[in-house]
Amino acid sequence: MAHPSQLGFQDAASPVMEELLHFHDHTLMIVFLISTLVLYIIMAMVTTKLTNKFILDSQEIEIIWTLLPALILILIALPSLRILYLMDEVNDPHLTVKALGHQWYWSYEYTDYNNFGFDSYMVPTQDLTPGQFRLLDVDHRMVIPTESPVRVLITADDVLHSWAVPSLGIKMDAVPGRLNQTAFIVSRPGIYYGQCSEICGANHSFMPIVVEAIPLKHFENWSTLMLENS
Amino acid sequence: MLAVVRKQLRNHPALIPLFIFIGGGATMSMMYLARLGLRNPDVCWDRKNNPEPWNKLGPTDQYKFFSVNMDYSKLKKDRPDF
Repeated sequence: MAHPSQLGFQDAASPVMEELLHFHDHTLMIVFLISTLVLYIIMAMVTTKLTNKFILDSQEIEIIWTLLPALILILIALPSLRILYLMDEVNDPHLTVKALGHQWYWSYEYTDYNNFGFDSYMVPTQDLTPGQFRLLDVDHRMVIPTESPVRVLITADDVLHSWAVPSLGIKMDAVPGRLNQTAFIVSRPGIYYGQCSEICGANHSFMPIVVEAIPLKHFENWSTLMLENS
Repeated sequence: MLAVVRKQLRNHPALIPLFIFIGGGATMSMMYLARLGLRNPDVCWDRKNNPEPWNKLGPTDQYKFFSVNMDYSKLKKDRPDF
């Protein structure tokens, strides 16, 4: 989840998010280098007493400052496109979960083997128990097994919502009347938080998403329990 | 038009890389758009003879431009016939 005064991304919990983090590091390093160079040149220009009033043009430097930025842009574009296509790949999911956005809660349906579903409301601030996070924790989390490709089908019941979990690198709009698909693999067990990312009314900030990833054996226990309780 | 450009290039050869990159970029964009228009199964040109091309995809078809990790030739068909 996010920490106070956090600057960077949250720790990655899925391979795609790791790729995104590495790409961001690569691109940000290039950006920092270019900005430092430009700042240095500006400082040098502003603080020098040397002047030359007769330079008109120079072919050599023009070639250099055309080729070098083009090369840098290619170095940014190739990993970027690779990740773009990687994020779209179909990966033969082991499990499909349906996430429906309502005003103002999410509901999850697990319909692969036996049918069960539940609503996921935010825990109101006055009902928080010690250790729970304000505006982030929910009463029923979406539980999935670790290290298994999971497909999430996202839609909405009334208005636009968006299902987003930053540490898994996922954001997908929930559009009424349309089914959007996204897939992910959670690399490690844990609890991952996200918030509704499309303005949907008064309580748009109060319908968070919590994904709990547990090993497959425990997931089967949980789904048996949910089936008995529903 | 071309003669004017050639004269300018002779006097300013530094413009040659510019032409290469801009020309290459424009060519690649147009080619990708053409590929999308002609090869994308979501696009329907002929409503009478080929009304719903997205129904004609086989299990091993790769319609995206580039595949990072997927080996599409290994996929099997696991849906009933339409």
